Amino acid sequence: MNSPIKTVIKFEIIRQLKKPSFWIAVLFMPILIGVVFLISFFAGMDNVDTTPEISEDTTVAITDDAGILPKDNPFNRYETEAEGVEAVKKGETELFFYIPKDFLETKKAEFYHISEGLEIFNFDGNYLKVILNQYSRQRVDAIDAMAIAGEYEIKDNKLTSTGEPSNALGKAIIPFAILAIYFVFMVMFGSRLLMTVVEEKENRISEMILTDVSSKHLIIGKIISMLALGAVQILVLVIPIIILLILNRDNPMISSIVGMIEIDPVSIISNIALFVLSILLFAAANTMVGVLVPTARDASQYIGPVIVASVFPLYFMQAFMATTPGIMVHFLTYFPLSAPVALMLRSAFGTLSPVELIIGLIEIAIFAAIILKLTISLFQKNAINFEVAKLKLFKK
Amino acid sequence: MDKIVEVKNFKMMFDNKTVIKDLSFDVKKGEIFGFLGSNGSGKTTTIRALLGFYTPTGGELLIDGKKYNPEDSAVTVGYLPEERGLYRKETVIDNMVYFGELRGLKNPREWSMRYLKRVGLEDKFNQKVEKLSGGQQQKIQLGITIMNDPKLLILDEPTKGFDPVNRRLLMNIIDELHKKGTAIIMITHYMDEVERLCDRALLLKDGVARAYGKISDIKKEFGGKSLDQIFVEVYGGEDEQSN
Repeated sequence: MNSPIKTVIKFEIIRQLKKPSFWIAVLFMPILIGVVFLISFFAGMDNVDTTPEISEDTTVAITDDAGILPKDNPFNRYETEAEGVEAVKKGETELFFYIPKDFLETKKAEFYHISEGLEIFNFDGNYLKVILNQYSRQRVDAIDAMAIAGEYEIKDNKLTSTGEPSNALGKAIIPFAILAIYFVFMVMFGSRLLMTVVEEKENRISEMILTDVSSKHLIIGKIISMLALGAVQILVLVIPIIILLILNRDNPMISSIVGMIEIDPVSIISNIALFVLSILLFAAANTMVGVLVPTARDASQYIGPVIVASVFPLYFMQAFMATTPGIMVHFLTYFPLSAPVALMLRSAFGTLSPVELIIGLIEIAIFAAIILKLTISLFQKNAINFEVAKLKLFKK
Repeated sequence: MDKIVEVKNFKMMFDNKTVIKDLSFDVKKGEIFGFLGSNGSGKTTTIRALLGFYTPTGGELLIDGKKYNPEDSAVTVGYLPEERGLYRKETVIDNMVYFGELRGLKNPREWSMRYLKRVGLEDKFNQKVEKLSGGQQQKIQLGITIMNDPKLLILDEPTKGFDPVNRRLLMNIIDELHKKGTAIIMITHYMDEVERLCDRALLLKDGVARAYGKISDIKKEFGGKSLDQIFVEVYGGEDEQSN
């Protein structure tokens, strides 16, 4: 690495680390994000309707080894749990409940259904509660009392259409975590990079510094230093979470979440590759805005559209959750600024084909390289332009 | 005497407007060169093109025989631009050390402390630049410009806004560097400074050199008038026309 780049990196990193505002942002931003997330999560939970969505056409089958239900119940019946599961796989029945012989002691029943997409909330398993409640009202004994009180657990067994156990949510946790890290990076690192690029012009240092260092090395040095600071920020965010998870690994909620996590190498590697290239694209776009405007105040007006375009896919979350992506999802997947988040979402949801991933990665890499090259050239020209630059980018 | 700066047939246009028509001159090693002209005559544009901020429309601008590249120049260049500033939120010493390291100074901190002592600002080394007065900031800018003993020093209106104390400091520094063999290009409106300090000068008007050479030769060419009178004569017609 060239010496001027090293000098720029050292200067930029040290001065940021010395600023109380940096540490306030690093320490409080994760707390703020966590609080907002928890509030919205629990507010959402209060409004979640746990009633099963069973229509008259839904085919339901039950194997009742405990003998709770009357023999003349209207549901399809299979002799064994394995037969019922097979029926679900073949599509003969949509929902299958298995009430084991020791239901009274274990208080656990099984629920099987096909689930291809990312189902965060599926309360169809509660249909068994409705059935048990309904029949138990006809006679009250020990089993009925338990049924009325609902003191039992119905284990949700999601299956893919090929009959394999489905764990779409578990597979999506790590890719989503990568997306979340990208989001934190965008929110905090983007504005800092913008400020540091504008600073030379705002303080009228451009001419003095560009006599000593090339614009290319100055920009690269600034971007690398901001990436390093972003990495510090991510470590400050991730390390406490990992420590908390390890310390509370016996907590039932944490162990069930951790137990649910499934390592899906394809989507994890895809999102890491997307993360790296997306950071470069976002850094290049921010730097370019910083280069074109004279002050940080002007920059904030121009950076708005970049941020909005970047997070735009999140407004269409429902469309991204669909197993078959629509026109809007395709558009956002290939629009350069929205592509990073759109591609990461689709990779997490498992709806991104390898071909689309490769096209997306190449597209982001090309745009990042073009914007960065253009930015370096514009920085030299606009370093001494103390007004908002006219966008005559392609005019000689 | 060898040339440190060569400007050959330099032309510069912005948005179809010609700023420099055809300018050629050179600056010799170790001399003090006065680069004169009214506001908007193209002096700063020429310096910016010389340092690579602008790409010339035509011609060549060379430092030590090559197009200037800050990281690949055998000649150390110190430039005090007309638009100048510092990292306001950083301390004096951090500003100076940063520029010193970029210039490849071996011990920038030690050099900076020595300079701060010389200009009476040693107690301000750890203060943020924004806390300093305008005059104190000028001293720091000047220090940064002369770090690492530049072989070419370009001063664009160096005394603009300087108080008499800083002006004297600047003159002393110019004198010291001149004795060390530094070539100095001085853009200024103060003709008395030019007469007192400069070996040669160039008077720019409408994008061409109206006078160029030794100060004594320029004076002879204009009938023995002072530089101040010459300046008024060259630009006076313009004022009369506009009036």
